[in-house]
Amino acid sequence: MTLVWTLVVCVLAVLASFPLTRVLGRNAGWPLAVIYLAAVGAFWPAATAVMGGEVVTWSRPWVAELGLDLSLRADGIGLVFVMIALVIGAVVLAYSTAYLKPGRNLTFYLYLAVFTVSMVGLVLADDLILLFLCWELTSLASFLLIARSGFSGEGASMRTLLITFLGGLTLLAAVGIMVAATGTTGLQEAMAHPVWDERPGLTTGVAVLVLLSAFTKSAQFPFHVWLPDAMAAATPVSAYLHAAAVVKAGIFLLLRFSPLFHDVPAWNVALVTVGLFTCALGGWFALRKTDLKKLMAYSTVSQLGLIVAAIGVGTEYAITAAVLHVIAHALFKSGLFMMVGVVDHATGTRDVRRLPELRRAMPLAFWTTVLGCASMAGVPPLLGFVSKESILTGLLETPGPAWTGWAAFVGAVLASVLTFSYSAKIVFHGFVDGRGQDRWPEDAPLHATPPAMGIFAALPILAGVPLALVVGVLDVPLDRALAAARPDVEPETHLALWHGVNVELVASMLIIAAGVAVILARRRLLPALEPRTPGPDGAAVIEALTAPVARAGMQLALLVRADSPTRHVAPVVVLLALVLGGGSLGLLLTGRVADQHPGLDRWSDGVALVVILLGVAGVCISQSRLAAVVSLSAVGIGITVQIFALGGPDVGLTQLLVEALTVLMIMLVLQKLPLRFGRSPRWGQRTALALAVSAGAAAGLGAFVLTGRRERSEIAEYYLTQGPEITHGYNVVNTILVEFRALDTLGELTVLGMAGAAMVAVLSTVRDRYLDPPPASDRSFVEDPQIPLRGPGTAAERAVHEAWGNAVPMQLLVRVTAPLLVLISFILFWRGHNSPGGGFIAALVGSAIVALFYLASARDQQVGPARAPMILIGSGVALAILTGLGGLVVEGSFLAPVSRDVGWTYLTSALLFDLGVYAAVLGLVMEAFNLLGATGGREGTRERADESVEGELSGPMDATRGETPRELADRALALAAAHAAGVPDGPDPRGKGRVGRGTTYLAHGVRPGNLGDGRDR
Amino acid sequence: MIIPLSIAVLVTGGVYLLLQRGMVRIIFGLALISHAANLMLLLAGVSAWRGEPLPDRVDPALATDPLPHAFVLTAIVIAFAVTVLMLALAVIGHNDDTKRMPATGEERAT
Repeated sequence: MTLVWTLVVCVLAVLASFPLTRVLGRNAGWPLAVIYLAAVGAFWPAATAVMGGEVVTWSRPWVAELGLDLSLRADGIGLVFVMIALVIGAVVLAYSTAYLKPGRNLTFYLYLAVFTVSMVGLVLADDLILLFLCWELTSLASFLLIARSGFSGEGASMRTLLITFLGGLTLLAAVGIMVAATGTTGLQEAMAHPVWDERPGLTTGVAVLVLLSAFTKSAQFPFHVWLPDAMAAATPVSAYLHAAAVVKAGIFLLLRFSPLFHDVPAWNVALVTVGLFTCALGGWFALRKTDLKKLMAYSTVSQLGLIVAAIGVGTEYAITAAVLHVIAHALFKSGLFMMVGVVDHATGTRDVRRLPELRRAMPLAFWTTVLGCASMAGVPPLLGFVSKESILTGLLETPGPAWTGWAAFVGAVLASVLTFSYSAKIVFHGFVDGRGQDRWPEDAPLHATPPAMGIFAALPILAGVPLALVVGVLDVPLDRALAAARPDVEPETHLALWHGVNVELVASMLIIAAGVAVILARRRLLPALEPRTPGPDGAAVIEALTAPVARAGMQLALLVRADSPTRHVAPVVVLLALVLGGGSLGLLLTGRVADQHPGLDRWSDGVALVVILLGVAGVCISQSRLAAVVSLSAVGIGITVQIFALGGPDVGLTQLLVEALTVLMIMLVLQKLPLRFGRSPRWGQRTALALAVSAGAAAGLGAFVLTGRRERSEIAEYYLTQGPEITHGYNVVNTILVEFRALDTLGELTVLGMAGAAMVAVLSTVRDRYLDPPPASDRSFVEDPQIPLRGPGTAAERAVHEAWGNAVPMQLLVRVTAPLLVLISFILFWRGHNSPGGGFIAALVGSAIVALFYLASARDQQVGPARAPMILIGSGVALAILTGLGGLVVEGSFLAPVSRDVGWTYLTSALLFDLGVYAAVLGLVMEAFNLLGATGGREGTRERADESVEGELSGPMDATRGETPRELADRALALAAAHAAGVPDGPDPRGKGRVGRGTTYLAHGVRPGNLGDGRDR
Repeated sequence: MIIPLSIAVLVTGGVYLLLQRGMVRIIFGLALISHAANLMLLLAGVSAWRGEPLPDRVDPALATDPLPHAFVLTAIVIAFAVTVLMLALAVIGHNDDTKRMPATGEERAT
C-alpha cells in the first residue's frame, strides 16, 4: 500500500496546486515542496524494505476483461529514481518560489506536479501498459512545461513533442510486441518469459525499439536536438526535468529492460557506440556555446551519453557505475542549472560574452559553481570523480574482442577532456574572466540574489560533497539497483574514493592535466571555438524534415478547401445517393427483399404528402423570407398530420408545439434581416437541384425498400404488453422516455441545456458592436423599412411608433390565457404517465406562456429574471441526474425509477425526472426568446447574454468573456487616462472598443451598477 | 409507398436549401431534413399498425411500435434546440446572405 500512498500524495500535489497558487501565488512552491517530502515519507517504508533486499509490490485488477492489472513494484532502480524525482523536485519547488515572477504561476506548479506523478508512476510501474501510459504522460507534461514559456517555447515545445512522441510510438510497438509474444502485460513476467531465449531475432527487434525510445527521451544522437531546444523553458523546469527527471526516464527504461537485453549484441553495440558518440558530440557542442544554459543542455546530452554507454556494457560493474553517475549527475547538474538561473537573475544575461566578473561580487555562487563543475569534470575527491572513474572501469569490460573495451575507454577519456574543458569554461568565463566587463555599464548593479534562490540552488551541489567522502553508504542502494537490473549476478559493490594506482586513475590524471592546459590557454582557445554566426542547429534540421510534409499536407488540403458550401456538401450527398440509392435499387432488382407488408398506406398519408409537397416547394422557391417561413410551417403541419395518422399522439403534440415555437423564433430573427433572400450564384442552382433530386430519390427509394417488410418487432410487443405492468403507466411512449430509455432522455436534455449555454457562450464572446453593428461601420447593414406615414399626432403614426397601444389587446389576452396555460401545462405534465402528455409537451405549453409574455410586452425587455434561463437549465439537468443517482442508490441501477404506492395514487421518481426535462426545455426556450428577441437599443443581445451569467446589469459589459487579464488591464489604464484628461467614458484611443463600466467591473470586480448612473447608454 | 414519397420530397427540398448561401436557408434546409429523418424513423416501426400505444384504450394487437415514437419525440426536441442555436449564430452581425464573414471581435495578438 505504501507505493499507492506515494502516488496518492503526488496526486494530492496536483490537486493542491489550484488552491495553493490562488492563495499564495508563487510561494505555493513551499507547501508543494512539503507535499513532495511527505511523498518521500509515504515511500519510506517501501524504501527501507527495498534496502533490506525485499521487493515491494502492489496490484489490483484494472480492466478485468483484458486481464489488465494496475501493478506497482518498488525495487532498487525504482528506489533511486523515485528519490531523485521527489527530492530534487522538492528542492526545485523551493527554488522556484524565488525564481518565478510574482503571480499565480498556476501552470508551472500544476504541470510540474503532473510531471512528478507520471514520473513516479513510470518508475514504479510493474505493468507494461501502465509503463507506457506514464511514459507518454511524462512527454506531455514536459511538452506543456516548455510550451507555457510563451512565444519562444512554441516551436521548441512542438519539436520536443515530435521527438518524444516518436519514442512513444516505438515504445508502444515494443510493448505491443512484448504483450503479444508473452501473453502477459506484467513487466516482470514478460521479461522472464522463455520466448526471448527461443527467438533471438524477436528479442533483438524489441531491444532496438526500446533503446530507440530511450534515446529520444534521454537525448541521444540523433534525437539530442530537442534538449537544447527545450532550454526555452523556465530555469527551474530545466533544473528538474532536463537535468534530473525527464531525461533520466530514458536511462530508467534502459536499466529496467537490462535484465532482458544486457546480453543482446545489438543492444551492447548500439548503446556503447551511440552513447560515446553522443558524449563526445555533446561535449564539443557544449564547448562552443556562449549561452550558459545551452552549454548546460549540451553538457547534459554528453553526460547522458556516458551513462548510456555504461549501461550498454551491461556488466555488473558498469551498471553500478551508471546508476552512481545518474545520482551524481542529478545532484550536480540540477544545482548547476539553478546556478545559471542565479547568474541570469543577477545580471540579466546568460551569455558569457556579456557577463562581468562575478567572482568577487558573488563569491558564494562562484564557489558553489566551482564545486559543481569540478564534480562534473571528475575532479577528486568529489562524487563525480568516483562515478566517472567507475564508468571508465566499466567501459573496459565492453563485450566483444579485447580492443573494443580499450576503444570505448579511450573514447570516454577523450570525451572527458571535453567535459573538463566546458566545465572550466563555465567557471572561468562565467565568473572569473569577465569577458563582458568592458561593456558592462558602470552604474548597473547586480540584482541581489534572494536567499531561497541561492540556498536551494547550492543545496544539491553541496549535498554531493560529503556523499563523496562517505561514498560507501551508497553501496547498499546501488547493490539493490544492480540486483534489479541484473538479477542473475551477485552484487558486491564497494565504492571508495581511492582504489590504488590503476589505469583509470592514470586516465583521470591525464584528463585533468589536459584540462589544466585548456584552462591556461582558455583566453585564446575557447573564444576561437565559438561560432561567429549560429550555424544550422537541430531546430533547422527538424524544420527541414517536417516542412515538406507540411507543404504536401497543404497541397492536399487545397483539393478540398473551398468557401462554397456546395463543394463540401456535394461529396456527402453524392456518396449517400450512390450507396443508399444504388444499394436499395440493387436489392430491389435482385429480389433480395421480402414482400411489403399489406396495409401500409392510408388516404390520410396522401393529404399529408400534398401539404408537404406544396410547403417544400414554397420554401425552396420563395424569395421572400416571410413566405418561406409560412411555407416551412405548412410543412410542419403536414408532418404533424402524418404523425397523428401514424398513431402517435405524444409525438404529434410535440411536433405541433415545436413547430409553433420554431416559427416564433424564426420570426424573432427575421426582424433583423432583410426582407428577401439574396440571389444565389447562377451556376450553383442547377448543380444544387441535381444534387438535391438525386439525394431525395435515394432517400425515398431507401425508405421504400428498407422499411415495411417485416412483422411488428418483439420489443414493441414487450413494451405494449409488459410496459404497463412494470411501470404502472399506460402511456407507453412516455414510460419509454422516462423509465426504459431514460438515459437517452438524459442525454437529450443535456443537449438542450448545452444549446442554451452555447448560445450564451457564443454571444457573450462577441463584442456588442460586432453583434449589432451600427450602420456606418457595416457595409451590409439594411435599413429599417421606411413607411410613408401621416404626420405626428395621427392615429397611423401612433400605431407604428407607440407600441404600447398595440400591445394592450395582447396583454389582456395574456391575463386570461396565462393561468389557463399553467393549468393545462400542469395537467399535461401530471397525466403524462398514462395519457398523451409528459414533461416535453407540458414544457412546450409552458414555453407558450413565455412567448405570450414576450409578445405582449410593449418594451424591449427580457422575460423573467436575469439569470432564470440558465438556472432552469442547470437545475433541470441536475434534477435529472440526481433522480438517476437516487435510482442507483435505492434500486442499484442509474436512472432506475423508484416507485411507491401511496394509496390514492402511484408515485414514481420518473415524475421528478420529467420535471427536470420540463425545467431544461423551459430554460432553453426562455433563453432563446431573451437572446433572439433583443432588438438592440438600450438592451442588446450581448447584454442579455451577459445577464444570463452575471445577473442584472445596467449596460453591456465592454469586455468579452475569454479576454486575457492583460487586455483588461490595458483598457482599465486607458479608462483611467481618459478620466484624468477630463474625457468621460469615451472611445478607446486605440479603437479597441469602448471603455466603460464593464471593463472596470471585470478588472476590479465592481459591478457597473454600483458605479453611479448607468443611463448614458 | 406514400410516406417514402414524402421523405423524398423533404430530402430534395432540404438538400437544395442546404446548398444555398445564407444561414437562414441552410437552417430551413436542415429543418426539412430532420423532418425526413423523423418520418424515416417512424417508418421503421412498420406503418401497417397505427393504433395509439395506449394499452388501456387501444387493443395492443393494433397499436403501433412505441419505440420509434419515443426516438422521434426526442429527435424533434433536439432538432428544435439545434435550430435555435443556429438561429442565434445567424443573428450575429447583419451579415446574412452577404459575402462578408462576420467579424468576431477577436483581435490578433501583437
